[in-house]
Amino acid sequence: MAELFGLLFTSLIVNNVVLTQFLGMCPFMGVSKKRSSALGMGIAVIFVIVVAAFVTYALYYLVLVPLHLEFMDLITFILVIASLVQLTEMFIKKTSPALYKSLGVYLPLITTNCVVLNVCLVNIQNGYDIGHMIMYSIGTPLGFALVLFIFSTIREKLEISDVPEFFKGNAIALICAAIMSMAFSAFAGVI
Amino acid sequence: MVVAIIMMLVLGALLGFGLGIADNKLKVEVDERVEHVTGMLPGYNCGGCGYPGCSGFAEAMVDGEVNSFLCKPTKPDQKQAILEYLANTPGPDGSTIKIKG
Repeated sequence: MAELFGLLFTSLIVNNVVLTQFLGMCPFMGVSKKRSSALGMGIAVIFVIVVAAFVTYALYYLVLVPLHLEFMDLITFILVIASLVQLTEMFIKKTSPALYKSLGVYLPLITTNCVVLNVCLVNIQNGYDIGHMIMYSIGTPLGFALVLFIFSTIREKLEISDVPEFFKGNAIALICAAIMSMAFSAFAGVI
Repeated sequence: MVVAIIMMLVLGALLGFGLGIADNKLKVEVDERVEHVTGMLPGYNCGGCGYPGCSGFAEAMVDGEVNSFLCKPTKPDQKQAILEYLANTPGPDGSTIKIKG
């Protein structure tokens, strides 16, 4: 049990996808300008990753392994992820048009968000059993959403602070991301 | 090889079927006047009206956000046609839109 929560904590904080593995940088820079859209994006990514992880895990062990088609994992996973993102997009468009507008092009871009594929492939590569798979698939997107939200609060402050002319906009945001990444590296070796 | 192809086809068909059902269930009701007005606008997407593209301006007109016709590239007779269309076509709630030329 302790090991399971260790994995959850590791994937959430210590091996954070964005700040220590540098995956999913595109929405990290793109949707972090406003807190509300960062939160919406975080929830959408959590939903897509959790469902995609379960579906791909089941698909791999119930379909691909019995048929000896393990080499097809990448292409089938991409197919599943693309359909899930389509579903999420329809759902958000129906339930929250405002969120749909603020997420804009980044919503369909979850398809190409490498965090999603990363979680699905690592689940298989590391040979996780069901318990570890669940913990890893929940911890990783939670870490993504957490960091995205923290970063969006920083960027909202940056909007009103006096930034030197050369660093305005994305430049200072990238510097802040680098400092955040260094701060998170302090967690290395905790577990 | 054959097994792989069949598996991909079956998987694609299943996912496509699921998406098709979801598309029906989660259909968003769009005001059809927006599409019609977008088709009547010049479609340059110049942004001169201050809205994101012609479809954005059409949406704003149908929503009643604008009082005067802000699109400059539209030809005078086409502009009259748009204003007449908006004044004569009732929306889902039965009201029409009057915009000054």
